[in-house]
Amino acid sequence: MEPIEIGLWVSGGMLVMVVLGMRVAFAAGLAGFIGLCWLRWNGFDYDPARLWKAIEISVKIAGLTPHSKVSAQVLSLIPVFIMIGYLAYYAKLTTALFEACKRWVAWVPGGLAVSTVFATAGFAAVSGASVATAAVFARIAIPEMLKVGYNKKFAAGVVAAGGTLASLIPPSAILVIYAIIVEQDVGKLLLAGFVPGAFSAVVYGGLIIGIAMVWKNVGPPVTGFSWKQRFESLPPALPILAVVVIIIFFVYNPFGDAWGTPTEGGAVGAFIVFLMALYRGMRWGQLKEALLETAKLTVMIFTIIWGVLIYVRFLGFAELPDAFASWITSLEMSPLVILICILLAYAVLGMFMDAIGMLLLTLPVVYPAVMALNGGELVSAADSAFGMSGPMCAIWFGILVVKMAEFCLITPPIGLNCFVVAGVRDDLTVQDVFKGVAPFFFADAVTIALLVAFPGIVLWLPSLAG
Amino acid sequence: MAGSAAVLEDSSLLSKLDRMLLPIERFCALLSGLAIFALMFLAAYSVSSRKFFGAPMMGYVDYIEAAMPIIAIMGVSYVQRDGTHIRMDMLVSALKGRVLWFFELVSVLLILLLIVALTWGAWEHFDRSFDCARPLCSRDSSIDVGIPIWPSKLVVPVAFAVLALRLLLQAWGYGRALVLGLENPAAVPLNLTIEEQAMAEARALEENG
Amino acid sequence: ATEWNVSVWGKRRAFTEHIEKIAELVSEKTGGEFTMNVSYGGLSKNRENLDGISIGAFEMAQFCAGYHPDKNRVVTVLELPFLGVENLEQEVAVSKAVYAHPAAADEMAQWNAKLLMTSPMPQYNLVGTGDPRTTLEEFEGMRVRATGGLGKAFEAVGAVPTSVTSSEAYQAMESGVVDTVAFAQHAHLSFGTINQADWWTANLNPGTVNCPVVVNIDAYESLSDAEREALDSSVDEALDHYLANYGELLKRWDAVLEEKGVEKVMISPEVLTEFRATAAAPARDAWIADMEAQGLPGQELYDLVVSTLEEAKASGS
Ligand code: NA
Ligand code: NA
Repeated sequence: MEPIEIGLWVSGGMLVMVVLGMRVAFAAGLAGFIGLCWLRWNGFDYDPARLWKAIEISVKIAGLTPHSKVSAQVLSLIPVFIMIGYLAYYAKLTTALFEACKRWVAWVPGGLAVSTVFATAGFAAVSGASVATAAVFARIAIPEMLKVGYNKKFAAGVVAAGGTLASLIPPSAILVIYAIIVEQDVGKLLLAGFVPGAFSAVVYGGLIIGIAMVWKNVGPPVTGFSWKQRFESLPPALPILAVVVIIIFFVYNPFGDAWGTPTEGGAVGAFIVFLMALYRGMRWGQLKEALLETAKLTVMIFTIIWGVLIYVRFLGFAELPDAFASWITSLEMSPLVILICILLAYAVLGMFMDAIGMLLLTLPVVYPAVMALNGGELVSAADSAFGMSGPMCAIWFGILVVKMAEFCLITPPIGLNCFVVAGVRDDLTVQDVFKGVAPFFFADAVTIALLVAFPGIVLWLPSLAG
Repeated sequence: MAGSAAVLEDSSLLSKLDRMLLPIERFCALLSGLAIFALMFLAAYSVSSRKFFGAPMMGYVDYIEAAMPIIAIMGVSYVQRDGTHIRMDMLVSALKGRVLWFFELVSVLLILLLIVALTWGAWEHFDRSFDCARPLCSRDSSIDVGIPIWPSKLVVPVAFAVLALRLLLQAWGYGRALVLGLENPAAVPLNLTIEEQAMAEARALEENG
Repeated sequence: ATEWNVSVWGKRRAFTEHIEKIAELVSEKTGGEFTMNVSYGGLSKNRENLDGISIGAFEMAQFCAGYHPDKNRVVTVLELPFLGVENLEQEVAVSKAVYAHPAAADEMAQWNAKLLMTSPMPQYNLVGTGDPRTTLEEFEGMRVRATGGLGKAFEAVGAVPTSVTSSEAYQAMESGVVDTVAFAQHAHLSFGTINQADWWTANLNPGTVNCPVVVNIDAYESLSDAEREALDSSVDEALDHYLANYGELLKRWDAVLEEKGVEKVMISPEVLTEFRATAAAPARDAWIADMEAQGLPGQELYDLVVSTLEEAKASGS
């Protein structure tokens, strides 16, 4: 049998296991391991006497992968980012941030909702996880909005949508994972997320103001904060600003050399938030809980990483990614149409799967194909299909798929953020939240279309960094 | 979807064993958390000694790489215990009773097959780097400061061995539920609906925040 | 038909040309019966290539001695600083001699590996940002990307070796994690460090790294006589091709420096002598003592390098 056929059978088998509810990490690892055995025995012409040898070699290849793959300096960024998010709860940064946004921008039409979006965007800057952001702001922001007479569904929709911003605005665990899988510069990807993330937040804000101006009863403005109150609200939220600035400057310093690696930036940011949490009364018991929760999420993510990388190792021997890439490039369609089809496929897949699992399972095959579509890893902007160099295409596609994954957090049937918001609020059903979030759903579709049409939005900042 | 779930306890031997394994798993996960905490200090120390004192830290990359397996793998069993490893639960969330336990049992047995193979393979990987006829038993060393790599490689089979024990208990738990037709079996993570999960998550935040 | 998987890393560059060439040659000589499938990072991480050979995951692989000195103590003799190797031909000669030594073969046999050929590298000179560093005082506290014996040499004069991977070297330089990077010329080009550089040391010549190509012993022994003959007889040809190719690259080098505006720094002979005195002898003595203590013929290996190098220089290469 041809290695590629084995590759297809095993990949199919893996999908069946995933659909049947096996944990994604282990389904991928098992598929990779079985695939390695099969491929090796196939190489031995199915000689029964050499079956054990084939298994032994595969056990050793698969068995060295977890250690080999996790022992990489760049990966240390993931736990540090996750820890910042958990420590931020104890530093009480979320309430401080919402309070500050409220005092500064609540006077516009739909003001509290705009404040919520900006506060979620700000919180996104210390948190890598979207779902957690939605849960937190459902508790803080919805009651305040209801108090001043907001439409309940609209308020819920604002929080669910705002929660999706966390994965684009750095720090973002999912962008780091993307960078590692496709072996691109982590720092540049984090930078690249910043503008589209802020752009999404502005689009949301504009949409809210528009809605509030047309339907006066949806979200009345809130006025009456003095300048003194406004400035008083800033210091408690300041660590967030510090973390954002530090991480950006560690990756790209517009005034000179960058300050260091993203991990170091994250570590310094985490340290500041840690001090803030101590100041706000965190003690050993809570720190221990934070560390356990950080460890849990970290291990969960790393298990998928090494599990999928066992599968990727098998794919390397089966040469499947090459075959898929040459198939894609041989299609008689314009590269842009193919790219849009791929993004739509992600939209469908994202309705049923967790974003990280979805990206990790598909990227090993899809990413080389997209790169080939553009003209290869080393193509220059002039010779490429999408008008950008290989590394820039990698960044652009990364931001697109992550935005896509975020989009899926608010789409029916199982947009997770909507479930979380409904879960936190006893007075809201999932249907209510889906109704409230619908305008943002269209805003996101427009944002994605703009990111596809004008890659400069994504690529401007990373291209400054050289 | 992240599926953190409830694990019931009762007076059975299985549940007793489950509660005996739990502290070990918690300890492993806490090691992982402490390693992350230490990593924060190490990176912050490294960057400040470099930036402010012009004295870069020797072997910084080596130490991080050596710590990564503890951070990334040590807690793997703790995460399996309450079902936090992500999966697609479209299908299983629609199942009930014996059919559900059957699917869960098969799934756990397949994972067990993988983990037994990986424990063996990871042990071999450790063993290739370990030779006590050599100084510090080292047959594989790091790139900058030459520290032995075997302790870091040993972390993996140890963590996987704990996970294998956990999987055995879960296989027993699901098997028992399948045979006896139990409604809410002990010692296995019970599926929550997506609403229940969200509620649990919000509650967790409430308690922490 | 025999198909070998070959594990290398990075992308195709001057450093992998002998492997591409040998694949081409064996296929030609056996009429397509014996082929090699060269994979750039698809089969293993570079620091696990020797493990992969040991397992039998693939049949041929490249690795560098300094990545994991304890796995390959014997060949690290070739990474000692200031051995005095002047060109790639001499590098090939000394590597060949050491690879043929029973101690080297024995140690590799523990990994089920047989040393096939070296990947000759020129002297690893520094590129750096900021003002050129031309005295030993200026090396103090310098963060340098240098592995193995080279790293040790810079450490001896107070610098701090920091081993980011080669693909991260560019970013490490840009972000100030390292001030300088020690690479061969092709790597300064292929990993982009030359684009960050303000200066390049033309004559520091502190030493180089040694990166053997090895084959799995079982796979080698199960080749048919014709296939084995095709492989063995292609080694010299492949290395000749490598040297010719690298020679072309070196010819272009000065033009590249000029084009990128990189200053060519000459270190004064006094400083070089001082550096050598500080770094070379202590590193060599420490290495020999360490090897002898572990029951390896350290002195003999070092003497072998010195005598082979003398012969090579005498015969005009
Ligand atoms: Na974020
Ligand atoms: Na969805």
